[in-house]
Amino acid sequence: MKRYGLAWLLLVFFLAACSNDQNTQSLSTVTEMDWSEIEESAADTTVRLFMWGGDEGINQYIDEWAAPRMEEEYDITLERVPMDTVEILQKLQTEKQAGKTDGTIDLIWLNGENFKNAKENELLAGSFVDSLPNFNEYYETEDPAFQTDFGTSVDGMEAPWGKVQFVFLYDSAKMDRPPSSFEELKSWTADHPGKFTYPNADDFTGNAFLRHILYAEADSPASIYDQPLDEENIAGTAEQTWSYLNDIEPNLWRSGEHYPNSLTELDRLYSQGDVWMTMGYNEARAESLIEEGVFPETTRSFVMDPGSIGNTHFLSIPFNSTNYPGALAAINFMLSPEAQLAKLAPNYWGENTPISIDKLPEGMKEEFESIERGESVLSQQELEESFLPESEAAYVDWMKEQWFNEVVQN
Amino acid sequence: MSRNRLLFIITSALFFLLPVLLLVLQSVSETWRFQAGQGFTFQLDSFEVLTSDPNLWSATGWSIAIGAGVLVTNLLIGILTGKALATMDFKGKSFVEAMMLSPILIPVLAIAMGLHLFMIRIGLADTLAGVILIHLVPTVPYSVKIFQNAYRQMGSDLLEQPLILGATPVHQLFTVELPLMKPAIRSVTFLTIVISLSQYAITAIIGGGTVITLPMVFFPFLDTANASIMAAFSIWFAMIPLLLYVIMEAILLLLPYTNIPWRNRT
Amino acid sequence: MKWFKTRSYYLFIPSVLFLLIPLYGLGSAIAQSVRDNGAFTFQYYTSLFESERFLTSAGFSLQVSLVSSLLSLIIGLWITRACYPLLEKYTPRLIVWLPMLFPHFVWGYMVILLLSESGVLSQWMQMTGLIGVPADFPVWTRDPYGIGITLTYVWKEVPFVILMLLPVYASIKPEFYDLVQSLGGGAWERFKTVEWPHLLPVVVESFLIIFAFTLSAYEVPALLGTTYPEMLSVLSYDWFYGSVWEDRPLAFAAMSLMSVFLLMITCVAYLYLNRKRWRAMRGRIE
Repeated sequence: MKRYGLAWLLLVFFLAACSNDQNTQSLSTVTEMDWSEIEESAADTTVRLFMWGGDEGINQYIDEWAAPRMEEEYDITLERVPMDTVEILQKLQTEKQAGKTDGTIDLIWLNGENFKNAKENELLAGSFVDSLPNFNEYYETEDPAFQTDFGTSVDGMEAPWGKVQFVFLYDSAKMDRPPSSFEELKSWTADHPGKFTYPNADDFTGNAFLRHILYAEADSPASIYDQPLDEENIAGTAEQTWSYLNDIEPNLWRSGEHYPNSLTELDRLYSQGDVWMTMGYNEARAESLIEEGVFPETTRSFVMDPGSIGNTHFLSIPFNSTNYPGALAAINFMLSPEAQLAKLAPNYWGENTPISIDKLPEGMKEEFESIERGESVLSQQELEESFLPESEAAYVDWMKEQWFNEVVQN
Repeated sequence: MSRNRLLFIITSALFFLLPVLLLVLQSVSETWRFQAGQGFTFQLDSFEVLTSDPNLWSATGWSIAIGAGVLVTNLLIGILTGKALATMDFKGKSFVEAMMLSPILIPVLAIAMGLHLFMIRIGLADTLAGVILIHLVPTVPYSVKIFQNAYRQMGSDLLEQPLILGATPVHQLFTVELPLMKPAIRSVTFLTIVISLSQYAITAIIGGGTVITLPMVFFPFLDTANASIMAAFSIWFAMIPLLLYVIMEAILLLLPYTNIPWRNRT
Repeated sequence: MKWFKTRSYYLFIPSVLFLLIPLYGLGSAIAQSVRDNGAFTFQYYTSLFESERFLTSAGFSLQVSLVSSLLSLIIGLWITRACYPLLEKYTPRLIVWLPMLFPHFVWGYMVILLLSESGVLSQWMQMTGLIGVPADFPVWTRDPYGIGITLTYVWKEVPFVILMLLPVYASIKPEFYDLVQSLGGGAWERFKTVEWPHLLPVVVESFLIIFAFTLSAYEVPALLGTTYPEMLSVLSYDWFYGSVWEDRPLAFAAMSLMSVFLLMITCVAYLYLNRKRWRAMRGRIE
């Protein structure tokens, strides 16, 4: 029985290699339809959102807040599938290679280098942002933060879902005043050896920390984020960056012989009190960790001169989604003021919104402004004043390579 | 023997029970912060997070279904191949044995892409059957080895005797081989289920979101600074192979020479 | 006897069909590692062997895997031997197998919880005054010698070794022991003449399995490894999932090399085992 089963599989294998099924609709024919038509054809369908699943607040926002409302208002079943973004892209790339046009993924959550790779390898369905009513109505459509993503032109292929800014976290019970610049951080580590470290350059957060130093050592941060990567041009800045890092190294946790492999590891060290600071994208990330009892209640956040890097993250549609109307309707819903408001509230996700508050109707505007994000979160004004845009994605990789050569192996 | 008994009790308590106990404690306590003078703070939030996940029960069901499918297929392939390898000698046998082991010698990451291509081409990507098939890769080599060793220990005399006496191979399998291989069946059950249950990457890729198994719900959480949630998930996770193992043990009770019709027919 | 043996080749059919799946996977991995825009190339392999980072991490990985597998085998064998009759019972067996129920990196996390500088053991030693401050506790996790990785692997693999060896011990007939005893042999004699011949194939196979796993698995070194030196699996993972997809062929090349190396030593090991068995059989016939 088993034998025949497998033999049959082989037969199917040879047949399937020759066959080629087609996706019936292209994205552009769908976006050309009236919005009401799109919503109509989206009704009574299932939309599968593939996204990183390691934060219960984010998961609950999707499962408990968004999914029931989409079911009720649009008759769309939203299914969240937890998977790492790199794995999602790997899956899509293999499907592309095999010519599989009926994929299972309708929505993905990404930005930065993942978007760059997805776009370059043609894993995305195409341009759609202009057809979303909520985007046109409530967002600053020409905002450069929506036009480029880590230096890659967006071309309408992903819609802004949220916005985060890099902050440092410290325990106010242990430190009166956090450092206000990278120079002060250096002298602080000299005074408190072993109480600071950062994740290694392969980690998303560690890499961002290192780019902050690059910004700080440059004549002005703009000379990095406004320029495409040119190793010769930034040689001087790079030299200063490595010497800064090598200078602080002996005063880091474990004398810099080991750098945390991930932000999680650094968070655990902070949570245990081994180090006194941690960091991360999302200015409100400490809130839920304090609430869960992982971080001490006295945890507060701070930013340092010359500023803190922020970026936007997006929702996009893969090339082989079988439900373009459903995906569009779902993205439009996620961008709506109601959905963004619930996302901003600290009880689920607590993350900042890319929406333009000025464009909202009065009542909605007040609701956005009245939200209390929590004691560990800096004021909106402070965040905006320190905001620095991301550099081109190529810097991320350059940093990985060079950091290992210049700091670890030295 | 009593010296050994004592030794066993101490080692197993220290090295096998204590860590598990630690995880249990962690799951019902807030993250430990000894330096801050804080110790054990009782909480059950971590289990609430666990049970509030809408995918939990369906994922548990999927995982058990896949585990069962993988186990049955493993027993089939394992017994046939194990018997062949133990009873036959032929040219190039060393090479064949090495090939049988090869699926677990090759890094999963290296072959994941090829496996996915293969599954798309045979039309089994994003299906339950595809996931079961793919879980055979990291499990079958173990089963083959375990059954091969079991048949080898049994010796060819015991295998030839019933045939000479006129038993059919199937009859022989149930009356002679399976009862003698109970330890092997136990090991295979345990190992297969545990391995199948911990496959994250290939399940995610081949299952494609239509088949959401436990590791897909859990693994993202295991990379959280919240140690209580992580511990709670690990414990739930460990309960499943344990449960399936107990069920298998119950099935094995049926194997010895008892009055079960299909075995007593002549 | 001949008819019994020749007729049995059909037993191989399912497993041969099954093997097509991983071999197809390996084939396409190798294909990825020798292709550059459609043209055949060995450039990725040459750049691997020119990369000091790769060579250092290959050496480190081999060392850690070898130590982990040998330690697991020795300890596992020792426990099985000493406690075999007990392990036949239901509860002791399940207790020993407990660590296998947890994913590797949960166990890795547990090792950190227990043995890091601020871990449970360190806290306990401070409380009892054995050490003064957390810094006095030796660096056992995320250390440059791979102690943390080795500890986790040994801890997880010992139960596996017991699982593999238990059926062997269960099948050794007590008469053999009686025979050795009546001939005046001691414990060592008993181990050498009765147990070892039964154990050898299983021990070699267990070694191969554990060695291959510890060499190629990513999770534990990612959790318990340090920045430098790094395990080969971590390096390949970074190449594979890194932001520059052009590095992928390097990852495929590194992993293909690893696979071929492991397949080769496995072939050699079986050649040795089968030759030994042949000799033993011939000895019996003559």
